[in-house]
Amino acid sequence: MIRVEGLTKFYGSVPAIEDISFRVERGEILGFLGPNGAGKSTTMRILTGFMPPTSGSAWVADMNVAERPLEVKRSIGYMPESNPLYLDMTVTAYLGYMVSLKGVAGAARRDAVARVVGSCGLESVASRLIGHLSKGYRQRVGLAQSLVSDPPVLILDEPTSGLDPAQIIEIRNLIRSLKGSRTIILSTHILPEVSLVCDRVVVIHQGRVAFEGALDSLATSVKEDDVLRVSAIGSAEALQGRLSAVPGVRQVRRTGASNGEVHFEVRAERGREVRPALAAAVPAASGQLTELRRERLTLEDLFVRIVSGERKHEGEAAHV
Amino acid sequence: MCSVWLICKRELASFFFSPVAYVVLAAWAFLMGIFFSGSFFNYALISMQLARNPQAAAQMNITPTSAVLEPVFASVSVVLLFLTPILTMRLFSEEKKLGTIELLLTYPLRDGHLLAGKFLSVLLLYLMMLALTLIYPVIVGLHATVEWGVVASAYLGVFLLGSAFLSVGVMASSWTSNQIIAATAAFMILLLSFILDFMAASVGADLAAVLRHLSIGLHLRNAIRGVIDTRDVIYLLNINILCLFLAMRSLEYYRWRA
Repeated sequence: MIRVEGLTKFYGSVPAIEDISFRVERGEILGFLGPNGAGKSTTMRILTGFMPPTSGSAWVADMNVAERPLEVKRSIGYMPESNPLYLDMTVTAYLGYMVSLKGVAGAARRDAVARVVGSCGLESVASRLIGHLSKGYRQRVGLAQSLVSDPPVLILDEPTSGLDPAQIIEIRNLIRSLKGSRTIILSTHILPEVSLVCDRVVVIHQGRVAFEGALDSLATSVKEDDVLRVSAIGSAEALQGRLSAVPGVRQVRRTGASNGEVHFEVRAERGREVRPALAAAVPAASGQLTELRRERLTLEDLFVRIVSGERKHEGEAAHV
Repeated sequence: MCSVWLICKRELASFFFSPVAYVVLAAWAFLMGIFFSGSFFNYALISMQLARNPQAAAQMNITPTSAVLEPVFASVSVVLLFLTPILTMRLFSEEKKLGTIELLLTYPLRDGHLLAGKFLSVLLLYLMMLALTLIYPVIVGLHATVEWGVVASAYLGVFLLGSAFLSVGVMASSWTSNQIIAATAAFMILLLSFILDFMAASVGADLAAVLRHLSIGLHLRNAIRGVIDTRDVIYLLNINILCLFLAMRSLEYYRWRA
């Protein structure tokens, strides 16, 4: 549905993106991740036909953006990062204006506006001026604008930025409800959003694709030891000795003690199940197990690791 | 073509939503009213004096049209110098400031349609302003004979002049996201084109002819006397084309570097 090949954009002599390539299949929600200034917005602006790339090509709905800009623009709903709106229009007037610019007129226009006013929860503010609306409602109006012409492709640039947690959940649910019927590219730097909404992610960093694939493979792409937390009551030395002897364990480190309870951080070979053996090692050291859990690498950790170039983390810094 | 009209309608709605349209229309009606009543009463005074002196009246070749309406039309260019930058300043600058230009440029619109819609909106507003002044020839017509041909020619001239002024303003607005700068730039360009006329007085004959031709205000002189000179028409249309063309380039440039 969307194909990007070797996209490069220079602002003057400064490259914003270099040789970006990825594809999005029909009905898929692609998470577009990257730190601020990585080139997310630039890529999206090229896809929407707002600006031309320095080199490379993009296809949206199987049409080349540079060759058939008007058709491409008709099949895209776009919500820019800044969510620009005409503050001097009412919600319905604005949506009606925007949809008619996409060539929808007459009764179809009224229906389209009524449909998105309903689906975006704007009924209560439909006749109010956009300038008088709260940020959350404005964000919904922005999203409604991108949806109003019922486009097969949606490009949303940080649709939840600046919202409170309840509003974020609402917008997220709204986006999730569109799943399947539309192809969506969603840029964000709020990572939980990605795991909740997206099928696949593209991480871009310093203008280049740092990772492309499913979220699960994002986790396995980081080559590092598994980290487990073990707490037990007993002798620290004996426990440490027994735990270190478990096959697959690379390192055991004491991280603290409280009320006779000792805490350990155990680093084990990646993917190897060492928990039963660890659990058995504690009674063997005459201790009582109080806690045993595997630390999951959060999306944040993965993200930081990918954008920091998967540098080898050593010693203390590795799990902070 | 449909999108041109949609954009034009939105701009007009926006003009009348904000006080801009009312302020400009009121200022226009007030200033033109002063000019008209001034020349109207002045003419009344002269014609009373001439009524006592029929010989002098026969020698002086004045008509109600030339004595009352001509000065009013001549003053239009000065009033427009101040009012048109205010009308045009927000057209693109506001979109740039709000960021809505980014949205519009990702809509299935040609740049030319966007530009045409915006220009058309101020042109229609200007026609509204001109329509208000129709009352002056009507008032003169109630008391004396009006040469309607001259009036029509004057309106054509004034319309073309205003359209050229507005295109300068549209161009200036496409340059910046700051409305004040857009208005100032348009005002400076228009003022400069007026001053060319004064500058012509202090240079050699050849250069003076060029400067006079470039001076925008002078191209109204023939039309308000009832003479439609194709040179004036072409000059004013050229200003339109040049400025709108440059505004198109500026939009294109905005896409490349935004």
